[in-house]
Amino acid sequence: MNVSKDLIAASATPLILAILKENDSYGYAIIKQVKELSGDELVWTEGMLYPVLHRLEEQQLIESYWKGAESGRKRKYYRIKQAGKEELELQKKQWEMVHSALSKTWVYKNEK
Amino acid sequence: MFDLELNIRSWSDHLRARGNFKETDIIELENHLRDEMEDLIETGLAEDEAFLISVKRLGNVSLISQEYSKVNSENLWKHLFSDPIDSDTGYQNRKNIVLVVIFSLIAGTLVKVPEIFGIHLNDTADQSFYFRNLSLFILPFISAFFMIKNKLSWKVIASIMGIFCFTAITINIYPYFNLKNTELLTGIHVPIFLWLITGVSYMGEKWRNSRSRMDFIRFTGESIIYGVLIFCGLMVLAMFTEMIFSAIQIDMGWFISNYLIIYGGCAAAMITVYLVEFKKSVVENFAPILAKIFSPLFLLTMCAFIVSMIVMGKSPFMERDFLIGFDLMLVLVLGLVLYVISARDIHDKASFYDFMNLALILTALVIDSIALSAILFRLSAFGITPNKVAALGENIILLVNLIGLAWLYLSYFIKKIDFIKIEKWQTSYLYVYAVWMAVVAFLFPVIF
Repeated sequence: MNVSKDLIAASATPLILAILKENDSYGYAIIKQVKELSGDELVWTEGMLYPVLHRLEEQQLIESYWKGAESGRKRKYYRIKQAGKEELELQKKQWEMVHSALSKTWVYKNEK
Repeated sequence: MFDLELNIRSWSDHLRARGNFKETDIIELENHLRDEMEDLIETGLAEDEAFLISVKRLGNVSLISQEYSKVNSENLWKHLFSDPIDSDTGYQNRKNIVLVVIFSLIAGTLVKVPEIFGIHLNDTADQSFYFRNLSLFILPFISAFFMIKNKLSWKVIASIMGIFCFTAITINIYPYFNLKNTELLTGIHVPIFLWLITGVSYMGEKWRNSRSRMDFIRFTGESIIYGVLIFCGLMVLAMFTEMIFSAIQIDMGWFISNYLIIYGGCAAAMITVYLVEFKKSVVENFAPILAKIFSPLFLLTMCAFIVSMIVMGKSPFMERDFLIGFDLMLVLVLGLVLYVISARDIHDKASFYDFMNLALILTALVIDSIALSAILFRLSAFGITPNKVAALGENIILLVNLIGLAWLYLSYFIKKIDFIKIEKWQTSYLYVYAVWMAVVAFLFPVIF
C-alpha cells in the first residue's frame, strides 16, 4: 500500500517522538523501527528524516549528543525533552480524535 | 574494482557542494549510509550494490538539501546564491559579475586620473599621495557593490558616501598635514577605519546586530586570505609577462607597472570580495582549515620568542621599528583568533582549537604587556611623539581586547557562560577600533 506523502509527513513527528520516548536513538535506528512498527508499509525517503529531526531540535522538543558506537563510528543520538513529551501527548489526542471521527463515519456507512 | 571509500567520499563531496549542509550533518548522513550498507551486505549484497541502494534510499540530494536549507536558516543565502539551476539566481550572478568588471575598470581608471594633474604613481615624490589615498581608490567601490547587493536605503548610502568624501577631503587638504611624522600614521589608520565603514554597507541595516558583525569579521579574514592568494597569482602573471616578452626584446615593464598592476590590483580586490561573498560554499571549507594550520604555528613561534627573550635577557623594544613590527604581529594574532571564532559554530562544544585559541590569546597578552612597558619607557625617556602615542593607544586597546577575550574564554570553559557572549563582546568592541582609527587618522595631524 502506498501511503500518501502528506500523511507520511504529518505522522513523522509523533512517530519520532514516540520512538524517542522509549529510548534515545539515532537516525538509522529510528527509520528501522518505523519500518518494523508499520510492517514495512511506511517507507520514508530516509534523507528526509534528518531535517525533521533538526527542526524538532530547533523547537526544543528533542536534544542531541554524539556518542561513539561499538563499530568505532561516532553517532548522533537524539533524546526527548519534557516539551517533546508534552507535544507527543497533544499529538496523540489529535490523532485519536481524527481516528475516532473517521471510524465513526465508516461505521455509519456500513450500517446504511 | 569498486572503491567504497572513494565512492562515499565523492558522494559526501557532492552533498558539500550543495552548500546547505553543516559538516556534522554530513557526518550524520554518511553514518546513516554506512549503517544501511552494512545491513544490506549482511543480507548478501555486494559492496557496490549495497552502496547504490543505500544512496537511492537516502533520496534525491537536491530535495534533501532544500529541506536542510530551511532548517539551517542562517545558511539560507547559500541556497539562494550558489544554486545555478535557478534562472533568477543565474541572472543575479551575471549582474554581480558585470558589476565587478565595471567597478574594477572605474577604480583602475581613477588611479590613473591624478596623472593628468602630473601626479604619477611611479614617481617617488608623489608616492605619499598614493599611499595616503590608496584605500579611497578601491574601498568606495567595494562599499557600492554591497550597497547595490543589500539594497540599502538612501539615508544609509548617503551617510557612508559622506564619510568617504569627508575622509578624502580631510586627508588631502589638511593644512597641517605637511608634517612627515603623522603621514605614516594616517596612511595606516585611514584604510582600517574605512574598511570598518565598508563593513556597514556589507552588513546593511543589521550592522548593529552581533551575528552580522561576526559575519563581517569572518568576511574580513577570508578576504585577506584569498586576496593574498589572488594577488600572488597576479604577481606571477606579471613576472611571466615580463619574462616572455623580454625574450623577444620587447620591454613590457611600462605596461606592467602602468596598467597590469593597477587594473589587475583593483580587479583582484573586487574579485576577492565577490568570491568570498557569493561563492561562500566554495571558499568556506578551505579558509578555516588554513586558519587551523597556522594558529598552532603562530603559537609555537610566539612561545619560542618569549622563552628565548627571557633566557637571553634581551629586550627587543629598544628600536622603534621593532615595536611597530610587534604591533602588526599582535594584530595578526588577534585577527587569527577572531577568524577562528567567527568561523566556528556557536553550538559546537569546546574543542581542541578553543584551547589553542586561549593559549594564543594568553601568549599575545604576555607579549603585549612587554611591548606596552617598552612604549611607556620610551615615552618617559624620549618625550611624546605621535607615533608613540598611537602605538600606546593601540597596545592598550589590544590589551583590553585580549584580556576580555581571555576572561570570557575561561568562563566559557568552566561552563559559566555561552559562547555567544564571547561573540557579543568582541563585536561590540569593534566600535572602539573604529573610533580610535578615526582619532589617529583625523585628529592626530591636527594635534601634532
